[in-house]
Amino acid sequence: MRLGTLFAGAAVGLLLAAAPARAQELTVWHDLGDNGTQWFERLGAEFAKTNPGVTVKASSFPTDQWFGRVISALNTDTAPDLIYNNYERVIRIQTQTGKVSDLKGALGAITDKGFLAEDDLRVATFGGKMIILPVQRVQMALGVRKSWLDKVGETFPATWADVQRVAVKFREGDPDGNGKADTFAMALQAAKPRDLIHMLDLFTFGSGLRHTLVDPQGTIVIDEPEHAKVLVEFLKTYTTYGYVSPDTINHTFTDMYQLIEGGRGGMFRVGDWNVKKWDSQAIKGDFVVGPWPKFKADRGNAVVIGGMRGIAVPENSPKKALATAFAQFMLTKPAQQASLELVGAAVRKDLDTAALSDRQKFFADAKGTLVAYDFPESVHSWYPELEAAFHRKLMTALAAPPKDFEAFVKETAAEMRDLKAKLAAK
Amino acid sequence: MTASWPARLCAYAAASLIALLFLYPYWWMVLGAFRTTEAVMTAPLRLWPESLDLSVFGTIARVGGAPLWRYAANSVLITTASTVLAVLVTALGAYAIVRRHGHRVFDALRYGFLLTIMYPYMLLVIPVYIVMYKLGLLGSYTGMVLFLALGPIQFFLFEQFFRSIPPEVIEAAIIDGASEWQILFRVVLPMATPIVATVSIITFLLNWAQWFPVLVVSRSPDTYTLPVALLTINGELGTNFQGIMALAVLTTIPVTIVFLLAQKRVMAGMADGAVKG
Amino acid sequence: MAAAGLPPPPPPGAPPLSASIASPVRTSASWRESLSRDGVFYAFVAPFAILTILFGLWPIILSIQVSFTASATALKPNAAYVGFENYRAIFADPVFLASLGRTLAYTAAAVVANVAFALAVALLLDSKLIGRGRTFFKVAVFLPVVTPDVAGYVVWKWLYDRSFGAVNAALDLIGLPAFGGLASVGTVTIAILIAELWKHAGFYVIIFLANLAIRDRALDEAAAIDGATAWQRLVHVTLPQLRPALVINGVYALIQFLKTFTVVVVMTKGGPADTTNFVSYYAYQLFDQGRYGEATAMATVLFGIVAVLALTAYGIGERGDRR
Repeated sequence: MRLGTLFAGAAVGLLLAAAPARAQELTVWHDLGDNGTQWFERLGAEFAKTNPGVTVKASSFPTDQWFGRVISALNTDTAPDLIYNNYERVIRIQTQTGKVSDLKGALGAITDKGFLAEDDLRVATFGGKMIILPVQRVQMALGVRKSWLDKVGETFPATWADVQRVAVKFREGDPDGNGKADTFAMALQAAKPRDLIHMLDLFTFGSGLRHTLVDPQGTIVIDEPEHAKVLVEFLKTYTTYGYVSPDTINHTFTDMYQLIEGGRGGMFRVGDWNVKKWDSQAIKGDFVVGPWPKFKADRGNAVVIGGMRGIAVPENSPKKALATAFAQFMLTKPAQQASLELVGAAVRKDLDTAALSDRQKFFADAKGTLVAYDFPESVHSWYPELEAAFHRKLMTALAAPPKDFEAFVKETAAEMRDLKAKLAAK
Repeated sequence: MTASWPARLCAYAAASLIALLFLYPYWWMVLGAFRTTEAVMTAPLRLWPESLDLSVFGTIARVGGAPLWRYAANSVLITTASTVLAVLVTALGAYAIVRRHGHRVFDALRYGFLLTIMYPYMLLVIPVYIVMYKLGLLGSYTGMVLFLALGPIQFFLFEQFFRSIPPEVIEAAIIDGASEWQILFRVVLPMATPIVATVSIITFLLNWAQWFPVLVVSRSPDTYTLPVALLTINGELGTNFQGIMALAVLTTIPVTIVFLLAQKRVMAGMADGAVKG
Repeated sequence: MAAAGLPPPPPPGAPPLSASIASPVRTSASWRESLSRDGVFYAFVAPFAILTILFGLWPIILSIQVSFTASATALKPNAAYVGFENYRAIFADPVFLASLGRTLAYTAAAVVANVAFALAVALLLDSKLIGRGRTFFKVAVFLPVVTPDVAGYVVWKWLYDRSFGAVNAALDLIGLPAFGGLASVGTVTIAILIAELWKHAGFYVIIFLANLAIRDRALDEAAAIDGATAWQRLVHVTLPQLRPALVINGVYALIQFLKTFTVVVVMTKGGPADTTNFVSYYAYQLFDQGRYGEATAMATVLFGIVAVLALTAYGIGERGDRR
């Protein structure tokens, strides 16, 4: 009997000793490409110091594939341990599957979290659940080719009038000096619904306005004078002004990057996650970063915060407890430092930025004014459908530019009001 | 009746122009892989690279978190395995269906098979995902290989071949008291070598190009094949033109070589599979 | 399971029994004996049957089943059935209706263009005017058929690009106006039609060539002796003999282009302004958004159209053959 107890005790002891060391793999699905995969690999190595035997296997998918994959995996109980993406994409996952777990408790257990502001937590919350732990603030600014500015004798454009002047010079002044008129003033995108609205968001929020299509009360704002001005200039930028490649209507962000990195477009969006690559490869540091152009003298312009990227744990995550521990770990200083270095973004403010380039610091130190998205989808359940209709309407204007853009905006506003009333009544 | 030389000249000019237009994209692709992005933009029509720029193979050494060699190995593995399985399964299946022609069960199976061909197969994505999940095959090579093992042209080629065997041959064997296994292995299979070769090559070519099932069944890029990797790099953040062209070249070269070596058999086989089907 | 590169053949008619090995059991052996022999054939056909059921019929049935459920519950064990609600919803969706119309129009244009082009090329290559080099031309036109579609369309996508592409550079070189390519609503359809023609026409060419090879050349010579012009001989002598190839190619092309998908995924993503948002792509997009019910309803509708059109076209061809 005693021998038996001894054996049993020894067996239990062995099991306990072996358990933490047993190899466990956490899978993460993200869409950040190779930089992101490297980041997760480094996080995995760091995490293993306190959780021996745990490895992290990160897979990157193009964004549209990421959606389809995550939704069907969560719906069929074949979920990965963790998913990583922008908050609004995780919201979509939650509305389609209802299987993103609430991380309120996980956040509550973290003591070192003073760097997360009220706004950050609001973004992370949807339908009363904390669906992500916010890990990276998404910032987007305007980038301009430095050598092109020098060539045409301009400096970083601050107002919309500056942008227009620079745009013409970029198009006609052979800024790349190859003797051919083959440059475009701007590189933008429009192919997919989100692409075009996203660009409009940048123009709108960057100019200091607070809403793109609708305000929190549900009022359609696009024909209010200041909004209408931005929208009209935005549409003309894609069409009659001739600032962009004629292919832009069909450009996804891949094509947009092609123009930027291939040295064809002079002004472009720079996301915090782009800087690392562009400092060393492709553009090789030949760009200046600043806030979006001013449309009105007395209103401040800004860098746009496109929400948060964060980590989410599916309800049916195979190793939910360990996954949650990893999610918490992503807010620790070493994890955040790695995030800043490898992906160019973070939420902590106590990180070491000495080794960063000026452009990286522009984002890391967040010195300028920041204007955040208004997140209408978290307020109005009918917003996605309205936005889809808005996008289709804008696309018709890009495909066949109207003679009178102001009238087009009025007409669009009226249509959106009708549709909103219909959708809200559902 | 000999044709006049001006007519012949016109015919050759027309045929050459068509061939040129059909082949030019290949040359442009190869050039795109070896010329820098800037060079292509400056002179898109240049017919010879300024210098052989091989740097691109470094930038596509990893795509979507997995090494390039892995995609190539997956392509070879999945294509080869599915081809072998396709030939075995389809040959036996078509043989049984032909021999039991008129039998309710076998005819029903044949029509069931024909039905599946008409379904817009890209829309099978969710149901196939569920089926793979229920069978525990998600993310597995097995799932992909099994899914790729059936195809219409393979079935029709075998069916045609078995139908063309003279009834007397089988009858004679039956009268001699041969079992069905003996008939299959001693009588039918020895005759079938050429058709097996044709179907194998065609299946290899077709399955090499398959991207959708691989994408659907995969749980991570680790099981992607070259065409899926190409699709991924085409949709990824800040990819480069040169990298896309280089990956397109890698995806295309193996099938091009196989096809050129067996062009006669492939073209005749594909025409047979369609015409006689 | 269906081969991506190739359209499926039409359901073939039963071959004459007398000329097939299918018959010996019935004709030379007794019925009882034939029954005893069935067992082994079940064994032969079993793997084929299992794969067909598991990866063909089962998913189709699941898909049709899902089309009658509410999307949110579609993949859950206790799915909520909503009758024809998804079908009602898609037929009330202007985007779907536009997409359906566009798909049918594109299919019609693509079938005509591919079959006509392939016929012209086949007649050229079959003519006595081409002797040496015939194989080379055939291989050149056929090579795209076996080229992985993703690779082919990726290349075409960039060929059309106004900055990189060779298409506009070439037009510019010979002094023609620029081609809008994939970027403009007016040209995108023709642009993907050309890319698809490049990919598929070679297949139709070899079908025509196979048919031309077995035609009765004596008829042609007789007509020539009777003084018929080349055009008259083509229309009245050659074309009637090409009826089988025309039917096969027509049906293949119909099925192929109704399901147009990869070219859209790679080259246009349905744009610009939904101009290339064909049914299969639109349904796939809904899939990705988790709107399974509507997506599978669209798939079922498309399936119905493909089946009806293919069977009708095949039926017309059959009747013609018996005339």
